[in-house]
Amino acid sequence: MNEKVNKRTGKLINIQDSLVQVRFFDEVIMGETAEILVEEKSLQGEVLQIKSDPKNPEAGIVEMQVFEDLTGAKIGDEVVFTGQPLSVLLGPGLLTSVWDGLQNSLYYLSKTDPYLRPGMKAPALDEEIKWDFTPTVKPGDTVKGGDVIGSVPEGNFEHKILVPFAMGTCTIESIIEKKAVNITQTVAVAVDNQHIKHELKLAFRQPVKTPIPFKERSIPQEPISTGTRVIDLLAPVAYGGTVGNPGPFGAGKTVLQHTLCKYALADIIVMAACGERAGEAVEVFKDFAELKDPSTGQSLMNRMCIFGNTSSMPVAAREASVFIALTVGEYYRYQGYNVIMLADSTSRWAQALRERSGRQGDIPGPEAFPMDIPDQIKGMYQRAGSDAATGGSLTFIGTVSPAGGNFQEPVTQATMDSTGGFWGLSQDRADAKKYPAIDPLAYTTSQYNGFISKSDREKILHTLQETNSIDQTISTIGLKKVPIDKYILYQKGTTIDFCVLQQDGFHDVEACSRPDRLEVINDAVQTLIDSEIQFAQGERDDDDFKQHIKSKFDLFRQNWKDWNYNAVKEKQIAQLKEKVDNFILQKKDS
Amino acid sequence: MIKKEIRKINEVGKALVSVEGNPGVALNHVVELVNASSDQSISFAKAINITEESTRFQVYIGTQGVSTKTKVRLHEVPTTVGFSQNMLGRSFDGIGHVTDKGPQIIFEKELPTQLDTLNPTVRLVPKQPLWTGVPMIDVFNTLVKSQKIPIFAGPTEPYNRLLAQIAKGAQADVIVFAGIGLKFDEHHYFKEELSKSGNMSKTIMFTHLAGESQIKGLMLPDVALSVSREFADQGKDVLVLLTDMTNWSNILRNVANYQDMIPSLQGYPGSLYSELARRYEVAADIEGAGSITIIGATTLESLEDPVPDNTGYITEGQFFLEGGKIKLARSLSRLKQQVNDKTRSDHRAIMTAMASLLADAEKAHEASEVGAANDSYSQKLLKYRSDFISQIEEPFGTPVELDQALDMCWDLLRKHFEPAETGITQKILTEYWNK
Repeated sequence: MNEKVNKRTGKLINIQDSLVQVRFFDEVIMGETAEILVEEKSLQGEVLQIKSDPKNPEAGIVEMQVFEDLTGAKIGDEVVFTGQPLSVLLGPGLLTSVWDGLQNSLYYLSKTDPYLRPGMKAPALDEEIKWDFTPTVKPGDTVKGGDVIGSVPEGNFEHKILVPFAMGTCTIESIIEKKAVNITQTVAVAVDNQHIKHELKLAFRQPVKTPIPFKERSIPQEPISTGTRVIDLLAPVAYGGTVGNPGPFGAGKTVLQHTLCKYALADIIVMAACGERAGEAVEVFKDFAELKDPSTGQSLMNRMCIFGNTSSMPVAAREASVFIALTVGEYYRYQGYNVIMLADSTSRWAQALRERSGRQGDIPGPEAFPMDIPDQIKGMYQRAGSDAATGGSLTFIGTVSPAGGNFQEPVTQATMDSTGGFWGLSQDRADAKKYPAIDPLAYTTSQYNGFISKSDREKILHTLQETNSIDQTISTIGLKKVPIDKYILYQKGTTIDFCVLQQDGFHDVEACSRPDRLEVINDAVQTLIDSEIQFAQGERDDDDFKQHIKSKFDLFRQNWKDWNYNAVKEKQIAQLKEKVDNFILQKKDS
Repeated sequence: MIKKEIRKINEVGKALVSVEGNPGVALNHVVELVNASSDQSISFAKAINITEESTRFQVYIGTQGVSTKTKVRLHEVPTTVGFSQNMLGRSFDGIGHVTDKGPQIIFEKELPTQLDTLNPTVRLVPKQPLWTGVPMIDVFNTLVKSQKIPIFAGPTEPYNRLLAQIAKGAQADVIVFAGIGLKFDEHHYFKEELSKSGNMSKTIMFTHLAGESQIKGLMLPDVALSVSREFADQGKDVLVLLTDMTNWSNILRNVANYQDMIPSLQGYPGSLYSELARRYEVAADIEGAGSITIIGATTLESLEDPVPDNTGYITEGQFFLEGGKIKLARSLSRLKQQVNDKTRSDHRAIMTAMASLLADAEKAHEASEVGAANDSYSQKLLKYRSDFISQIEEPFGTPVELDQALDMCWDLLRKHFEPAETGITQKILTEYWNK
């Protein structure tokens, strides 16, 4: 085919920030990408809208968003339409990669310039690396989109080589023997029903706004051990589930994301650093590389890939980065892996849509967000899920950054409506340095099964609720008015909060509690709630007695906290029960 | 080379002018407005919106006096700022023109001001503390080189005094002062303070005074940060003081308004977050080069206002100034855990314990206001709180070394509490309680 003949072009007729209008005479496809040629640079853009040209009935006008800075662009600059929608390259080498929002390798780009200049491009996947390909089909076999034709080892993973999803039924004409090949080499040739030959390689491009299908979508059942107690006990998430994690700034969203990155049990973690601080993404790919994966003991980066479209990068690419990351997650789910995708932050993604729709002159919805923002958010979370046929799952945990910390704003509300779990971070808890600042009593819910029974979960929540209301009584009418039994209940709740819900994310032992430990903790908590503690009032008046009770609880809490930090061996872990029993009987505890 | 000229201006508004047709100007490129009869330069301007029918420019010094016959001369380059080592010790306006009476500066090079993003892979993970001698910062919210952090304060708080206090003691090779919408006495105050501390020779001041052209104020951070970045690329550790970013955001709001952009919250454009982020994200510790640390001032009526709210999501924490004190509860350094485990072994423990006790004390304080803090423990907390505010939250005065500041903290705990009440682990208590 002659490329020149089919080259469809247009010319810039309007430029404002990242939005341009292009006059064209031929054909344009909604959603296709285009290259805008500005001062010898080629900038990538995407078609948003096509309309008629009032000045020229022969022509049409395309509205496009451009993913890179347009400084230097002039009226009349040429635009070349590619015919391809925004897509991501899928294949071996995804893991350990660090890209910008459009899948340009950032390490590759840094070889030529420490700054990201408009028009810079880099391969998405390393084209030099040779992968040990083992075929699983033979000439004459029939395959279709999504079928496996072979595999390569990628770190600890068996990376299946798939027929591109868009392809129909084909017959394998030829396939190479077991051999080391790179992603640019052809490994098989397949012939479709129209007798057209397709060269199959280790990697292929997949449009990002078309979800990769499930084989057999199923309801998320099995809880994920995140290592964070307040989550695993009170608001668990299952493989394939969705969680919204809103919080005002400073409440600890990022630290929580990093903790999940480090400790959540999953095969693969895809991180979309969307419109947030560059430093945080850097911490992940530089410092986390030295940390160990909790399942394999290898570098944590071996199970990760990162899309870093940080806050100073072009806004238009933010939307793309989330969809690109989702597609990578779906790809590994399809291969049968448990993937967690962390998006920080979905609010920045929504803001990018807001900036765009504002420039397009759309009628704004609440807080100037596009009217359809709830549907867009719902659609995004819907791409998560588990697959019974492959055994894989894609869990989507998105942070939300509500303006003014107000959870009533449109993005938080739409997220609540879209996710199966919700971890609301509270300013008050963060101010009191009670981390993680997930408030179990407000904006925190989960529809998923956890590691403890629902009734145990309810009992803990009930105790915390009571504690909270006694706390309010104390601060409004004073401690004197609180009866002794209520005061003891209050101290119990405070103990659960201090020793169980609060967790030091920066300490090796304390940062992560696995199910075995959780079980011991839950038993201790349930015993504490259910038991009457043998305090002796003696000659003390009520005020003194309360001080006495508080001092006993203080010691007990310190004792428990020490256990949190120090109990490592099975025997040490089991000692918590003894500590609680002794406390209840008011025996001396070593 | 003769530069192309347009001989007619069609529209003149506040800060913006438009010409008809398509004269071939490129986006963000510079033009010069020139008096038609005298041929004297009036101002530079930047192309911000180009269509087939018209081109719109932001005029740097404002549009007062611009005539419909004023000529528009095309320069065909993006906006730049001159750079020279000789800028140290000197004062400039928002577009990099000298404002003091010193000798003429020959610029070594022109820097583009568009602030391209630093590739995240060449960022170093920040690990170097920046000691300030302020206990509230050094103990509780340690500042780290390459950090970007604002001071949140009401308009009447001494935020500029605090900025100056930090600047005086901070160890940086170059200090870049960037003042937007400043009153003259504030500009003068900084100059005096920096001179007194002997730091003026390593300081560059960019000042936009209240009442000056808005576009000059709007451009000031980009100009100041481009110069800062050049010093950092040359291996210098640069400290940038941005005050006051609320003034800057308000200019951004005004100009967006002149451009008829759809406002999102309180009239600010939907891009406020991205615009602020582009500036603050210049802060970095660069592999094989120097670093840029940014301390800003953000004045506010309420934390929920769009400017402090968006800023908080961008910066790596904030220092909250109220009643002349840095308030522990609302202050945060997000990078502190990168460094505070490599100081004294009690640093983290005492930081956590004191903060948690102060939170309890704040509750007791609230209760006391309705007469409900009637038990002895609450009384204890109240006394602790009052000492904490006067001794620890006070930012002004003689600088305190970290060791000394930590000892001060133990003194306070011992004075008010029993060891078990502190929630500190036994190991740390054994080592420090009876020291």
